[in-house]
Amino acid sequence: MNKAGSRTYVRDALFEKPGPKALKKIRLVTALSLAALILLIFLVIRQFYITGQLDARYWSFFLRFTTWRFLFIGLLGTVEAASLGGVLALITGFLLMLARISKYRILNILSAALIEFTRGVPTLLFIYFFFLVVPQMGIKMSALWKVVFPVSISACGIVAEVLRSGVNAVPKGQREAAISLGMSEAATFLRIILPQAVRFVVPALISELVIVVKDTTFAYVVSFPDLMQNAKVLISNYDALLSVYLVVAVIYIIINYLLNQLSLYLAGRMDVSTVNVAEV
Amino acid sequence: MEENIIELKNVEKYFGTLHVLNNINLSVKRGEVVVIIGPSGSGKSTLCRTVNRLETIDSGEIFIDGELMPEEGQELARIRSEVGMVFQSFNLFAHMTILDNVTLAPRTVRKIPKAQAEKEAMELLKRVGIESQAGKVPAQLSGGQQQRAAIARALAMHPKAMLFDEPTSALDPEMINEVLDAMAELARDGMTMMIVTHEMNFARRVADRVIFMDQGQIIEESTPDKFFDAPGTKRARDFLSSIRTQ
Ligand SMILES: Nc1ncnc2c1ncn2[C@@H]1O[C@H](COP(=O)(O)OP(=O)(O)OP(=O)(O)O)[C@@H](O)[C@H]1O
Ligand SMILES: [Mg+2]
Repeated sequence: MNKAGSRTYVRDALFEKPGPKALKKIRLVTALSLAALILLIFLVIRQFYITGQLDARYWSFFLRFTTWRFLFIGLLGTVEAASLGGVLALITGFLLMLARISKYRILNILSAALIEFTRGVPTLLFIYFFFLVVPQMGIKMSALWKVVFPVSISACGIVAEVLRSGVNAVPKGQREAAISLGMSEAATFLRIILPQAVRFVVPALISELVIVVKDTTFAYVVSFPDLMQNAKVLISNYDALLSVYLVVAVIYIIINYLLNQLSLYLAGRMDVSTVNVAEV
Repeated sequence: MEENIIELKNVEKYFGTLHVLNNINLSVKRGEVVVIIGPSGSGKSTLCRTVNRLETIDSGEIFIDGELMPEEGQELARIRSEVGMVFQSFNLFAHMTILDNVTLAPRTVRKIPKAQAEKEAMELLKRVGIESQAGKVPAQLSGGQQQRAAIARALAMHPKAMLFDEPTSALDPEMINEVLDAMAELARDGMTMMIVTHEMNFARRVADRVIFMDQGQIIEESTPDKFFDAPGTKRARDFLSSIRTQ
């Protein structure tokens, strides 16, 4: 993996290296921002204090093992729904992308329409569809799948477009070199085009996974015990709204932070600059 | 055994209204080195690329070692595998090591076992002088090394002929000769070659025959000495004097 220090950031390319005056300015802005942040945190905590939200009864149940076990079970539900949803979105998005770039015009049109549809409709509507309409059609499925299907449907169109942009970013000479060696179109796509395309879009795919994780919070609609749903149970049991939401928010932030770190790690590992010197 | 490894008969091609290949008749004999010369836009690359059907043709026929080039399918892939192609921009597979670049097609197309493919690949890399680079990815190599790797990759399929489309045009001047030397050695070893190039000294030294193209047509066809010393057409004379005054 690359060390952070040896990377060139876009920021470095956009701006000149700051001179002494600019450095002074940067320090001033930094100090002011920090002061504003501390002030804000202080005001928030003060408000909590005034309204009694810092009262022990809103926080003491976090000292109990059962509270954390209950949240952990919710977390497992979230991880289960998000990973199934992510994998399903990846598979369906991949198939949609194949249809979108295939040589059959009818498949192009159908997949383009599906991609637009899934990207345009809010996740919550898909959730309601699986919650209300699907059971009416006599189809029984567990609460888990009533989360997984809508969440992955909502993501698959974007996954398809992200993958397609990766495929388009692979220089056409790569394909020409492969087929001129006698490789089939299929082998060329699988061995040459796709691996490079995926490298280009790993960060974008992980961003989409973050959205999938966030979308699973709609699980409460179908009463699937994910982190959010279990948080709601805690809230009503202990009549403690703010403290639970704060803790749960931090857990979501940690999950998505870890995903972003994974994205950086993967991008760094694949950072064998994939562009040939004389790409003309 | 056919005498002509590459044979084009009455080949026509249009890009829209542009007549990019105009009644091309051309053959390359076994072991022959044919160099194609001509001004920019005359259709040299297109001609080269039609020979393994990276460009389709509108009419005419192309034969490789006596076999008619089919329009599609496994037969097309098989014939393509028998004609090596080297591109101006190298087109090495960017996500693979040099060794994997060379072994991929023998292993997937010809089903050669890994160990054998790697042994042959190392021999080829040695032949073009870059065996020490085998474990690197293309971006870590200089342009000249990349192009020699691309030549090794094409040779790994034991092609009946090699096509080169301006193999040195993307290279820094100091790297041109290492690639030309590798090509000259191939020619000495009897490889059938069709080369588009602007390297006139190389053409004169290595070519058995020079073909001059302009506006999609073959204007002149002769031995290198005759072509460079006493070109038979005004267009060839104009072209040669224009590049000599540069
Ligand atoms: N895919 C394409 N679509 C439309 N026109 C094309 C295409 N490829 C090439 N052409 C045109 O066909 C003509 C011949 O192109 P070609 O690349 O074969 O020329 P060339 O002799 O190789 O030139 P150069 O020395 O610049 O490489 C040019 O006018 C070019 O603009
Ligand atoms: Mg050209």
